Amino acid sequence: MPPIPLAQQLGELSELLGQMCTAAAGAVQQATAALLDGRVRLAEQVIAGDARIDALRAQIEELAGDALLFHAPVAGDLRAVVSAIRSAGDVERMGDLALHVAEVIHRRHPGHALPAEVRADFAEMGRLAVQLARKAAEVVRSRNVLLAVELDADDDAMDALHRRMFGVLMHPAWPHGVTAAVDVTLLARYYERFADHAVMVARETIYAVTGQEPDAIPI
Amino acid sequence: MRDAYQEQLDSLADSLAGMCTQVADAMEKATRALLESDLQLAEEVISDDLKVDEIRTAAEEKAFALLALQAPVATDLRIVVSAIHGAGDIERMGDLALHVAQAARRRHPSPVLPDEVAPYFAEMGRVGVALAVKAGAVIRSRDLMTAAELESDDDAMDDLHRHMFTVLMDRNWTHGVEAAVDVTLLARFYERYADHAVAVARRIVYVVTGQMPGPLTV
Repeated sequence: MPPIPLAQQLGELSELLGQMCTAAAGAVQQATAALLDGRVRLAEQVIAGDARIDALRAQIEELAGDALLFHAPVAGDLRAVVSAIRSAGDVERMGDLALHVAEVIHRRHPGHALPAEVRADFAEMGRLAVQLARKAAEVVRSRNVLLAVELDADDDAMDALHRRMFGVLMHPAWPHGVTAAVDVTLLARYYERFADHAVMVARETIYAVTGQEPDAIPI
Repeated sequence: MRDAYQEQLDSLADSLAGMCTQVADAMEKATRALLESDLQLAEEVISDDLKVDEIRTAAEEKAFALLALQAPVATDLRIVVSAIHGAGDIERMGDLALHVAQAARRRHPSPVLPDEVAPYFAEMGRVGVALAVKAGAVIRSRDLMTAAELESDDDAMDDLHRHMFTVLMDRNWTHGVEAAVDVTLLARFYERYADHAVAVARRIVYVVTGQMPGPLTV
């Protein structure tokens, strides 16, 4: 059987990566809903669903390995394959972080609800995370560099929320004690890292398309 | 020709092993800066992180050149792909050491850690540094026994990490929320640092055996 043409493999890699990003968006959306409403069943679904994201990653790595082996691509095609391998690692991590959010809910159930002071912030972090992952899906499918650059800027909103959260926690009037503070600290970190990885995926695409590190792009 | 090719592969492994040495050194210093509230040492770790990033860029360029010019197959292809993964993991270890140093700098001249948890962080630092050194050795030797050792060494880190939470959640915790937040994040940095060292070792197992031991990431 002749090997699948490289162009087709590259198309499949983009498609699979897009699916991974969409799955990560779904996972963080469900995890956030579970967090805000203390829905432990939904959290369990997120935990069980992570295997699908891991399987997609394995599929991408195998396909990328085949592309390297059968076609020995160079220049832009080589960058496309390598950036798919790296991006798959980032998106898998996004899935893991959504799973970590779900695990916090699972671990604390029943009991500690999310403190009211930070509820709106987590709702917003969740919304941003979903938006970033969906945009990352669009970026890997379309290879649109402008959209990728935009995603980088969207992450600033997440960083601002993350910083704000620490202000709330460290405030002397924080009434919820240490256990709740530890949970909120970790949860906020999970969302922030989720966003960082979405940015990494966008940056990989910029690199694959242009051959330049994103910082060198004059936009 | 074949010799030049082999040299390129060796040079790639050398770069990665060198990165491991760098991030082991960074974590050793960051831990000392944390425990001794040593601002100068913290600054050193922060500025040295650029070096790790530079070696990563150089290692990736080597990997790309190998893929483009030599079109490696079989084990050699796995070596190059694993090197690309490994470079990412080790760079992240450098970032995590940097985060520890930043915590030390942020609270200077006050100590970040309450006295009662300091010994645990000294131990997490020791375990983390040993893991990074061992990961570097595995990259050079591709020894599967040593690679497997990293997995069990990492259990010690996980135990320490879990124990930190027990201490934090204890109702006798008297150091307030700010210290609890710092300890939570710092413990996580050490744990992630160790996870990345294990991921590096797993990729080497994959190079040698063609099979990933367990899940791709930890």
